[in-house]
Amino acid sequence: MSISDESGALEYQRAREAAMAGPAAVVDRASGPPWVILIALCLAGALAAAIVAVGRHGDPAPQLQLSLILGAAFGFVIQRSRFCFLCIWRDWLDRRDPRGLLGIITALVIGITGYTLIFGAWLPDPSGSRLPPTAHIGPVSIALVLAGLAFGAGMAISGSCLSAHLYRLGEGSPTAPFALIGAVGGFIIGFRSWNGLYLWTIADAPILWLPRHLGYGGALVVSLAVLAVLALFLLRARPLPARRELPEGDPLVAVFRQRWPAWLGGLFVGLIGVGAYLRLSPLGVTAEIGSRSRQLAAAFELLPSRLEGLDSFRGCATIIRDALLTPNGLFIFGLVVAALIAALLAGEFKPRWPSIGQLLRGLTGGVLLGWGTVIGLGCTVGTLLSGISAGALSGWVFATALAAGATVVLRLGRRFGLPL
Amino acid sequence: MSALSLLRRSVLSLAATLLLGGVALANSGPLVTTDWLEKNLSDPKVRIVEVSVEPGLYERGHIPGAQNIIWHTDLVDTVERDIAKPEKFQVLARKLGLDKDVTIVLYGDSNNWFAAWGAWVFDIYGLRDNVKLLDGGRKKWELEKRPVSTNPLAIKASAFTVAEPNRKLRARLADVVATVEKKSEARVLDIRSADEFSGKIIAPAGFQELALRAGHIPGSVNVPWAQAVNQADGTLKSPEELKKLYANVGIDGSKPVITTCRIGERSSHTWFILSRVLGYQVANYDGSWTEYGNTVGLPISNPAGTVWGGK
Repeated sequence: MSISDESGALEYQRAREAAMAGPAAVVDRASGPPWVILIALCLAGALAAAIVAVGRHGDPAPQLQLSLILGAAFGFVIQRSRFCFLCIWRDWLDRRDPRGLLGIITALVIGITGYTLIFGAWLPDPSGSRLPPTAHIGPVSIALVLAGLAFGAGMAISGSCLSAHLYRLGEGSPTAPFALIGAVGGFIIGFRSWNGLYLWTIADAPILWLPRHLGYGGALVVSLAVLAVLALFLLRARPLPARRELPEGDPLVAVFRQRWPAWLGGLFVGLIGVGAYLRLSPLGVTAEIGSRSRQLAAAFELLPSRLEGLDSFRGCATIIRDALLTPNGLFIFGLVVAALIAALLAGEFKPRWPSIGQLLRGLTGGVLLGWGTVIGLGCTVGTLLSGISAGALSGWVFATALAAGATVVLRLGRRFGLPL
Repeated sequence: MSALSLLRRSVLSLAATLLLGGVALANSGPLVTTDWLEKNLSDPKVRIVEVSVEPGLYERGHIPGAQNIIWHTDLVDTVERDIAKPEKFQVLARKLGLDKDVTIVLYGDSNNWFAAWGAWVFDIYGLRDNVKLLDGGRKKWELEKRPVSTNPLAIKASAFTVAEPNRKLRARLADVVATVEKKSEARVLDIRSADEFSGKIIAPAGFQELALRAGHIPGSVNVPWAQAVNQADGTLKSPEELKKLYANVGIDGSKPVITTCRIGERSSHTWFILSRVLGYQVANYDGSWTEYGNTVGLPISNPAGTVWGGK
């Protein structure tokens, strides 16, 4: 079994080995030339200035500013903790390493708990016909399963999901730009295939919100129990190495140079998700790409004149925005810039020229990611993380389908000698 | 605060209470100012209700003590394309503690667009003179950096009894057709954008509810609703300015008015101005262009020459 270099897995493995050798080794590995740190500091200064400027001149300033701050926090956290759904899944498939998956479970535990607290205040009685405002609770249909399978396949081919491609953009990944371009194409194909799928299966599909059927307490207990069982299974499958006393390290090294443990990343991702839902909207990384793709498709007359029912669903693919600065646009901007800063400081900014193979894999995988996002009304962040946190069955279905899609494509691809 | 000014305030407020019977203070008109509302937030005889277009806005922060109405489910009968039936409205009003003896302040986003629509429905069911609009709505409240809250407030349910629906506040297709056929002296005021009115477009981009044809009701006049609002803070223009604005197109209160738009919601903003601020006799046509423009056998006026949606 080989570890792919392109996805960053190899570097991660080396970093991990270096970390096992003790803090001194890590510091050696990560110490970069001072000008890199200077550039990172300048970028951080520019990001801070942008946050201040948006707070003064944006419209609506508070929302745009908070989006930028949350995007920056999210980008920093997912770069530092390598919160990449495909890498995490591959760690498990290839090496039975459960740490990344435990990180996702941590994020979901925080998310579900936090969302439950917010829901209780916003919609005291969940048993009526109403859904909590703006939560990503989607219909559960065959189309959702297809979307998950396509998204999983797209992750396996392109090397990661959309949120990870965005932070990889900050790491100088040669594949990420093509995956994002491919995703725009996938979005447009998604819009074009929407009406057919909507009429075939989505329109009549049930929207299953667990608290409506189980109550807030019941949904919380059941969801946490499922996650606990998963966590126990993962921990038993391969017990973690014996606990080592953490060396007294330099906190700067721990924060900016060493990889964060996945659970810590999950903890922060969960908190950022809850904060975003409380103050702005559920966490999602594809609303802006979706909206711009929709504008682009409309400009080239590739968009159907009506997208039946699409705008009545909550999710990442459905919002039309005309403004130059949008909350989600600034979220993405903050994400990429903060990931770049984090990568520079950690010595993980390694831009490379893309090979033809990377270009093709980026584009092909990206198309599948984009299509899956439109049909699934979001990606790993919007539908999986925010959806499951919201108690949506759609989030669980999407998660299962994308894991299946990624597994099948990885296994088949490798059998045919593809570098996946 | 000095003892003297405290004394003066106490005497003044006592006098006001005696004279005006508690909350009637500052309540003679159909609008309340943000200042007045902030001072009266804790008054048990004031009920504040938000009716916003954007979902999640109320939940993420509202005027302290405000309650929420969700426009597209609470105030409508979705099956019959109608406003909420009397029984449904009564249940809602009771739950929110609304009644004729409390001052009800409505406010919302988009310059009170849907708050005014709420006031129209309230009026139909007998809540009229004690219903006020917060001048400037959410926009002004936020601009003035006033506090918002997310804490729910326990409100005691009222024993409100819904009145017989006031038919005069609501125009039906037949009323509008009567104006077209010159059998009625009512004037039709269309508040849609100039491009919708002329027939260049059927509806603003992104709206799903459409008519087949573009244009307007023959004989109607056009004053886009946003012209009645000061864009800076969302407040209504002064009654003199408003009077002039509508008089320019021949609406001066001498004849009954019918307000109309696309689905009858933006037009209730203008209904509120004409009816409550200027005191004209006004009915809102909630069927609006989606009904009129789709009706078989009715003439339309289409200066842009587009007429049909299809080409």
